[in-house]
Amino acid sequence: MKFGKRLKQQIQDSLPEWRDKFLSYKELKKLVKLISAAPTRRNESWRSRNESLKYGKAESDFVYLLDIEIDKFNGFFMEQEEEFVIRHENLKQKIKRVVDLWGPNGIHPSEENYKEEMEKIRKAIVDFHGEMVLLVNYSNINYTGLAKILKKYDKRTGGLLRLPFIQKVLVQPFFTTDIISNLVKECESIIDTVFPAEEAAERAKEAIVVAGEGIFRNTVKALLTMQEIRKGSSTQSPFSLPPLNLPDSDLIQSIQLNAAVPIV
Amino acid sequence: MKAHPAKQLNNMGMSGALPSSLAGLPPSLEDTYSKLSDSQPAFVENELTTRPFTHSSSSGVVGPMFSSSPGYSTDLHHSSLSPHDKQSKNTHFLSPTFGNIASLPLPYSSNNGPIPSTTPTHYSKGNSASWHADSLNSFLDLPTSNPIDSSQVESSACNIMASEDYSKQNNWQEWADQLISDDDTLTSNWNDILVDNIQDLEPKVPKSSSQFPAGHQQLPASSGENHVGATPSSSANSAPAKPRMRWTPELHEAFVDAVNQLGGSERATPKGVLKLMKVEGLTIYHVKSHLQKYRTARYRPESSEGSSEKKLGTIEEMPSLDLKTGIEITEALRMQMEVQKRLHEQLEIQRNLQLRIEEQGRYLQMMFEKQCKSGGIEPFKASSSAIDSTSGVSSDAMKDSPAKSEMEATPVDLCSSGPHQANGNATAEKKSLEVNGKQDAPEDPKQLASESEDSGHPPKRPRTDE
Repeated sequence: MKFGKRLKQQIQDSLPEWRDKFLSYKELKKLVKLISAAPTRRNESWRSRNESLKYGKAESDFVYLLDIEIDKFNGFFMEQEEEFVIRHENLKQKIKRVVDLWGPNGIHPSEENYKEEMEKIRKAIVDFHGEMVLLVNYSNINYTGLAKILKKYDKRTGGLLRLPFIQKVLVQPFFTTDIISNLVKECESIIDTVFPAEEAAERAKEAIVVAGEGIFRNTVKALLTMQEIRKGSSTQSPFSLPPLNLPDSDLIQSIQLNAAVPIV
Repeated sequence: MKAHPAKQLNNMGMSGALPSSLAGLPPSLEDTYSKLSDSQPAFVENELTTRPFTHSSSSGVVGPMFSSSPGYSTDLHHSSLSPHDKQSKNTHFLSPTFGNIASLPLPYSSNNGPIPSTTPTHYSKGNSASWHADSLNSFLDLPTSNPIDSSQVESSACNIMASEDYSKQNNWQEWADQLISDDDTLTSNWNDILVDNIQDLEPKVPKSSSQFPAGHQQLPASSGENHVGATPSSSANSAPAKPRMRWTPELHEAFVDAVNQLGGSERATPKGVLKLMKVEGLTIYHVKSHLQKYRTARYRPESSEGSSEKKLGTIEEMPSLDLKTGIEITEALRMQMEVQKRLHEQLEIQRNLQLRIEEQGRYLQMMFEKQCKSGGIEPFKASSSAIDSTSGVSSDAMKDSPAKSEMEATPVDLCSSGPHQANGNATAEKKSLEVNGKQDAPEDPKQLASESEDSGHPPKRPRTDE
């Protein structure tokens, strides 16, 4: 239940409108248990026609549910993707306007106005970046869940569903995150134009607390969860991912602890 | 964005043809889609017992309708539900239209001949679903110059094609014309007709389509966004927008250009934008919903950025933020950015790993099947069990093979080398990740595949020599 718990946590920590868009891992697991509880191995299934029919039906039910889930992912993902594409374009234009207006070539605004505007823009960009990354995370976590549940299914029922099914999942829109990844990278390059040159300011602890809310908090949690999930599986196989090694995991852990202080 | 018009037409025909099986049981179909969760087993029985679960043939119908996304190019297993949606949508779409036509007196001004006499009688509601499909098929076959069985249909269709002066008032005729004609204006004209028909459709479509899971998804999203309120009944407009269009940045750029040409987001109409964009496979519904989103995003740039934070309660700590200095905030944002970057990196790496793992699995599977084919063993079981578990199991399966020593040795070798190899590669990658810290996706998948190939080749050679 390790993954299930982690998934639940992730869901709770995610943005509210996203919460019902994740994989229904628990339900699928229950179904697998149900299927394997009536043990009908393929070899012996011809003992009784009923059993073989049940087995076939169970498998098709399972596949049907999976298909519904995948449709759900695709729909949500593409909807978000569309929004992000629009927002990205808007942001770019806005920044262009501001930079043209108040940049090195344009008029010099009041210090306060400029500061305020730039702060808003910076926050907007960083949060936008974060949201997109969270969408990629959403995609990935659902994929991981699917892979796991398929593995469980094969293991429990002796079926051969996993390999062909996962091949189909790999080409699904929700898993082909290239567009979003490119947007993220573009965002990262835009950031440089908006942020002042790196100052040698020390990172105040209050800064960490302040930033420990909202999207930032989600991304931190996502990162840590990913680390946890990959910590080391009970069933090592050529299909498991190696453990995740984050260089700054201590720092990130501290961020999370600090953010536990509720400021709502 | 290449879509083959002929192929497109065939697909439309196919998706039109499929309802013939479904329309045969209209009550159960309605039931299925009105209480999706309840009637799941029944639906499953109906569909999946008739065809194997890897039914890519019908799902592939929906494929080429989309634009650039590669995920749609081949078999679409995922859309096992969506073609049904689409088909039933088509059914619902077709039958009201035909029903309307049947009730209208048809002023076939230019086209005389068999059509007016024969077709209206066929377009009575309900029973003639299969005929609709057949007629569609025969109409659609025309451009590809297939021999047509029904001479009547052929001659009438030829009449349609030949005559230039089809009256615009006759919706059905125009629609049939558009389906037959092969030019690029096909989609836009079809959409014109759709727009014209939307008054007929709107009372009928939302009722059924709002209960589709896809429509269900879009309803909360669109209603949540629809602050502007200028566009009426967003549900009716967004629900038929399935299959989904994948809005790439390039497509969006073309969209923005078109909108700007038309004088801004408020002034631009979906029809105009669609015409300007000249993108194949783009329907007016796609443009409509996208325009809606675009408008809301444009006029509330601040709130759309801040909406997510509002829900997370950060808006309450705004006063406290004012107390912090600008530098601290900037630093905080920088740190946030770092973490986000890190997460994204890891996600990319993870995804690449997952892709390659599956690729290797598939490759191993192929190898096994090849070997087993020539050895005459049951391929599937042996390969999958070998991949998923230890090599001991596979050696059991190999016992039945003919007593060629190389044959026995090689699969086992491959099997034992396979998992180890995968593990070795994985750990090697991990180490390289650690050493190099941040880096892009490690070696090429090709390299990995070639490594596997190298190990695969030596066993192969002695066998082929024989």
